[in-house]
Amino acid sequence: MALIYELTPAIVFLPLASFALALFFGQWMPKKGAVAGILATLGTLGLSLVTLGWLVLTGEPHDATWYTLVDADGAVNLTFGILIDQLSAAMLVIVSLIAFLVHVFSLGYMNDEGEPGLPRYYAGLGLFTASMLAFVIADNLFMAFVFFELVGLCSYLLIGHWFGEDAPPSAAKKAFLVTRFGDYFFLVGVVGVLVTFGTAGFAGSEGFPALAEQALTGETSVNTFGLSTEGWFSVLGLLVLGGALGKSAQFPFHTWLPDAMEGPTPVSALIHAATMVAAGVYLIARIYGFYALLPTVLGVIAFVGGFTALFAATMAVVKNEIKQVLAYSTISQYGYMMLALGAGGYVAAFFHLTTHAIFKALLFLGAGSVIIAMHHEEDMWEMGGLKDEMRTTYLTFLAGSLALAGIFPFSGFWSKDEVLFETLVHALGGSPLLFGAYAMALSAVFLTGFYTIRMVLLSFHGEPRSDTAEDPHGVGWNVKFPLVVLGALAVVAGGINLLPVEKLLGGSLHLAFLEGYLGQDIGLLTHGEHYSELLHDYAGYRSEYIGNEVTTILLGAGLSLGLALLGAVSAYGLYRGAAPARHTEKLGGVQTLLMHNYYQDEYQVWLAEGLTVRLSAAADTFDQGVIDGTVNAVSSVSLFSGGRIRRIQSGVVTNYAALIVLSLLALLVVFAILGGWL
Amino acid sequence: MVLETVPAEYYLVLSAAVFCIGLFGVLTRRNAMMFLMSVELLLNAANVNLVAFAFYWGNVTGQTFVLFTMALAAAEVAVGIGIILVLHRNFDDVDVTDATTLKW
Repeated sequence: MALIYELTPAIVFLPLASFALALFFGQWMPKKGAVAGILATLGTLGLSLVTLGWLVLTGEPHDATWYTLVDADGAVNLTFGILIDQLSAAMLVIVSLIAFLVHVFSLGYMNDEGEPGLPRYYAGLGLFTASMLAFVIADNLFMAFVFFELVGLCSYLLIGHWFGEDAPPSAAKKAFLVTRFGDYFFLVGVVGVLVTFGTAGFAGSEGFPALAEQALTGETSVNTFGLSTEGWFSVLGLLVLGGALGKSAQFPFHTWLPDAMEGPTPVSALIHAATMVAAGVYLIARIYGFYALLPTVLGVIAFVGGFTALFAATMAVVKNEIKQVLAYSTISQYGYMMLALGAGGYVAAFFHLTTHAIFKALLFLGAGSVIIAMHHEEDMWEMGGLKDEMRTTYLTFLAGSLALAGIFPFSGFWSKDEVLFETLVHALGGSPLLFGAYAMALSAVFLTGFYTIRMVLLSFHGEPRSDTAEDPHGVGWNVKFPLVVLGALAVVAGGINLLPVEKLLGGSLHLAFLEGYLGQDIGLLTHGEHYSELLHDYAGYRSEYIGNEVTTILLGAGLSLGLALLGAVSAYGLYRGAAPARHTEKLGGVQTLLMHNYYQDEYQVWLAEGLTVRLSAAADTFDQGVIDGTVNAVSSVSLFSGGRIRRIQSGVVTNYAALIVLSLLALLVVFAILGGWL
Repeated sequence: MVLETVPAEYYLVLSAAVFCIGLFGVLTRRNAMMFLMSVELLLNAANVNLVAFAFYWGNVTGQTFVLFTMALAAAEVAVGIGIILVLHRNFDDVDVTDATTLKW
């Protein structure tokens, strides 16, 4: 085993140590625990980069059980293990990079602003980073579930950081409950997988995706509880998907994410944009070998993804608070990733996850910088004209926005284009249902362009619309440094997978690095080539082109870029002036509907109060009336008869003696009759 | 010996008679002292039986048992008189039908 893999546990334990230090000694530590967190995440980032480099250079993966929680001796063992393959190595780098930059940013956002509860805050960040990294390196579904829950807990703690105010605790509870609702299905799914396959391992021929494939080909048989093999696997897939939809804020579990913006902005950047929300998508990608066998579930994922992309984008159009716009755009972008997974674009999904993690973290940190400058005012109508006052923030924010909008040549363009391209070619290749998801995702491209440019123009352009916007508060190096790093990455990150360019050049130049990296077979059956075969053989995903591949690429890219530009230009046309009008108000009833998030919150409250509470009340009546009633009736018979019979206890000793004598006589008579003496 | 001529049935009849007298006392008397005496009669009826059978079979086990029973009876009288004293202290009487409070 390579030395680097012996150090892998340190990737998790470094942030865990910073959590413990900040929690117990934070008050006395430099910057209240921030320094420990920065050093720990820096160490983690270094180790992750070395791990990634080692994997790229040697192609040697790592899959080993690290700790056995329950040794059932031949039955189902519950273990913690480490799986380092292409997917987890790349994800480690993303998570630790964002975590590091967010720790640095927190110096400016939390320490310099004199926020209370800093040790608690840094402890939360440390615990979150450790749990997220442990989730990423998990080698089985059980371990993944444990850390999936733990990141949910950290999310709860950090959203509710300012628990003294009204909104944050309520938002924290909502986030916890909604994601927990999805996780409930996940838990049932984990148990189902363990019962069906006897293992929850991800990788290799012993992993459950490989076992599922064998079961589908009929080589082995598993207990499918009376359903067809594929039917039962689809049920398992949908159950696990429930957890992924909850964490990745997909319809109908998306309602928690906008409220989660009550947390500190660096938390929004780390947890609610770049990493934790990606856990759902990562989970699906992690067991893609299982999903690729199930065309029905893939169809569900694609449709939920496409629908969420459009649905969330429409709401982002009318929001007035900068973080709300970003929250809805996050939901929408995760919709694209789900669409890619559902449409058979494994590499595209991970590519978009990577670029999105970078540009969305950038946008949130940029918004954080604006919020510092605006003295914690988040309403974009109070901003305006900030571009000259905050040059660095403006330029980096603009880079992130153009990436989000999918404008050539920023990173978001490449990844979003690949998502749409994969959907299109598979739709053409005999899965016409994907056209529906494609159409929704394509409409969302237009809206994304629109709301992104609207957000930039309202925040940074025009005349200042309030006194604070006239004279914004400056920001320090600790804010600018993460912005610059992420800004540069947001521009160039698309370069890791220039698949269209490679195709246009006729394949003479290798530019699709990510595709090659994820596709390469390193013997764990978790590589892209394997998934493509599975998709082809089991899900029936085939590629067809309009004309040839190059014309399809050009057509698809042209279409999405055209729509994005159209959205951007229309937003520019509407909001470019010195004092832009509130154009969305002209939408009338639609605006009200969108502002109220399609009444999804009210609907869910109704589900809880109108439906669940009533059902529970009926169940309570049944319990109290019928079940307890039966028990009470039985006992009341005993009580009544006991109350009557006790009257023979007179307390007079003579009566007792008489009773004994009479009983004895009666017994004698009985014996006499039975014994035949009489 | 004279005793050899007395058959075991006589002893049994005597024992049954003494037992019935004791039982009658227990069932009809209200005075606790009479109660105690009646109980003594009951015990001694059993003793007569034991001695008679021991003699009949030529085995001393029964007679030994009677010694134990007499010791037990002595102890019982001691406890019984103690109870009667307490009864008198609490109810100013030794009538057993007065002391009926120790029930439900």
